[in-house]
Amino acid sequence: MHRLRVLILKEWEELAKIKMVIYGALFLPLLMGGLAGFMVWQGQGLPPEAQAALFNTALMYFLILPVMIPVTLAVYSIVGEKEQGTLEPLLATPLTDWELFVGKAVVAVLPSVGLTWTVFALFLAAAHVMLGGIPSGVLTLPWLLSITVLSPLLAVFGVLVSMLVSSRTSDPRAAYQFSGLAVVPTLVPLIVYSVQMTAVNLLLVILEGGILVLLNAVLLFLAVRLFRREEILTRWK
Amino acid sequence: MIRTEGLTRRFGDRLAVDGLTLEVREGEILGLLGPNGAGKTTTVRMLACLLAPTGGRAWVGGHEVGKEASAIRSTVGILTESPGFYKRLTLERNMRYFAELYGVPDPRSAVQRYLERLGLWDRRTDAVATLSKGLRQRLALARALVHEPKVLFLDEPTAGLDPESARDVRRFIAELADERRTILLCTHNLTEAEELCNRIAVLRTRLIALDRPAALKRRMSGSRVTVELGNPRPEFARDLGLPCVRAAELAGPTLQVEVADPERDVPALVRRLVELGAEIRAVARDERSLEDVYLELVGGNDAPA
Ligand SMILES: Nc1ncnc2c1ncn2[C@@H]1O[C@H](COP(=O)(O)OP(=O)(O)OP(=O)(O)O)[C@@H](O)[C@H]1O
Ligand SMILES: [Mg+2]
Repeated sequence: MHRLRVLILKEWEELAKIKMVIYGALFLPLLMGGLAGFMVWQGQGLPPEAQAALFNTALMYFLILPVMIPVTLAVYSIVGEKEQGTLEPLLATPLTDWELFVGKAVVAVLPSVGLTWTVFALFLAAAHVMLGGIPSGVLTLPWLLSITVLSPLLAVFGVLVSMLVSSRTSDPRAAYQFSGLAVVPTLVPLIVYSVQMTAVNLLLVILEGGILVLLNAVLLFLAVRLFRREEILTRWK
Repeated sequence: MIRTEGLTRRFGDRLAVDGLTLEVREGEILGLLGPNGAGKTTTVRMLACLLAPTGGRAWVGGHEVGKEASAIRSTVGILTESPGFYKRLTLERNMRYFAELYGVPDPRSAVQRYLERLGLWDRRTDAVATLSKGLRQRLALARALVHEPKVLFLDEPTAGLDPESARDVRRFIAELADERRTILLCTHNLTEAEELCNRIAVLRTRLIALDRPAALKRRMSGSRVTVELGNPRPEFARDLGLPCVRAAELAGPTLQVEVADPERDVPALVRRLVELGAEIRAVARDERSLEDVYLELVGGNDAPA
């Protein structure tokens, strides 16, 4: 536990010094939050049903964030070790394989979920001010579940994909692009929602959640096998 | 302190280390010598519990490799072949990270102690990216020591350093030996091995030789003695008549004699030459350098057992 904390704190300190990571992790939340806010701003003065529809679409941006933010963080935290040749000294310490894996995952998952929730809270506050209250019938159980449960699941998915991809290449850009691509399928439900303009319903949320849990379980299985000392030293490129 | 029995590692069907059996005593520096690809790094990695052996057993500080990995990792300090650092972080932060991972009770003072000892304390707030290769190597030594390991693995500690930095590092290693740490030193530098190591193991996938540097040289250079004469005469070579002399040959003013054991036989040889009326100007044992010995050991396609 102590070593896990040591690892995570160092990781954040280091990531905070990489411009790409800072821009990468801040750009998306700002963009999505801004877009969502802009939509709501446009809804001022519209009839309540139209306002609710706009609001619904705006909410979807908050499901893109948790899966996209962790990519840069996870890629740099793994590729960085490889680039700098720090893996071997690190693996020579009493740090366990499991601590290394969990540490690296938490390093990316926590800020992603945290940022998503922060931007979401800011958005709600802004909407409340602009619309003089949140349109009734939008902040329902499916939405609240999406934000509280789907977001972390999506973040874990984004992180696991990025970690797997990063272990296979030492070029951060390639890893970044590849992980970005791999993460796109999770956006499909969002595209469907916004094209159909259907409100998110409980069934869809449960379905998506179930699929994510399964996918994450498979990725976790693969990642844990990849995060063994011997594997890291001899197979990682 | 370190013991291996038939330690073996394969990568697919390539043998990297084959049946290595050796022992490093407490406080000893054992040099591991061998050409590129001989299996030095692989051996160190197995002993540091980074790679699992595919055969044989090994113990480090009384703990068995593979069974008590975490105990071994805490007792062992390792300077890896290419020691990397988090280059955006400061020297101090890098050191503190490793000290904390090793569970050093008072990381700050341990970090300060070793940064000072290696002359890096003034640069503690600089990013590692700004360090020269020599300073980086010193920092790597500091890192390998920060948890006060009893056993040290140093994989080519002076590779790529300028002569002065290399000398500093060697001096430091000698100090470490005075502190009774047990050191396994991989190197290509024979002078370094000779200067620092109590014993030398020559490895080429298999262990080819293991002995003290002087003994290795003696064993290999055998038995040639060169005598310089003021009055060279053919009978000096012909009429020696000593049982220990295997061959003698006169070339110009120098007489080359093969004896069984120079240590024992040179006095008798000199006595006999004087009896024959030789005017001896100098007697030299044909000492070969460790380099010659080493090249002979590792040379050839079939390693001599
Ligand atoms: N991860 C690996 N996968 C496959 N083969 C490997 C691996 N690591 C080492 N080898 C092989 O094992 C053999 C021994 O390599 P090792 O690195 O231990 O040699 P070395 O003595 O340290 O050489 P050098 O002096 O070049 O550092 C070599 O043939 C090498 O190709
Ligand atoms: Mg090597």
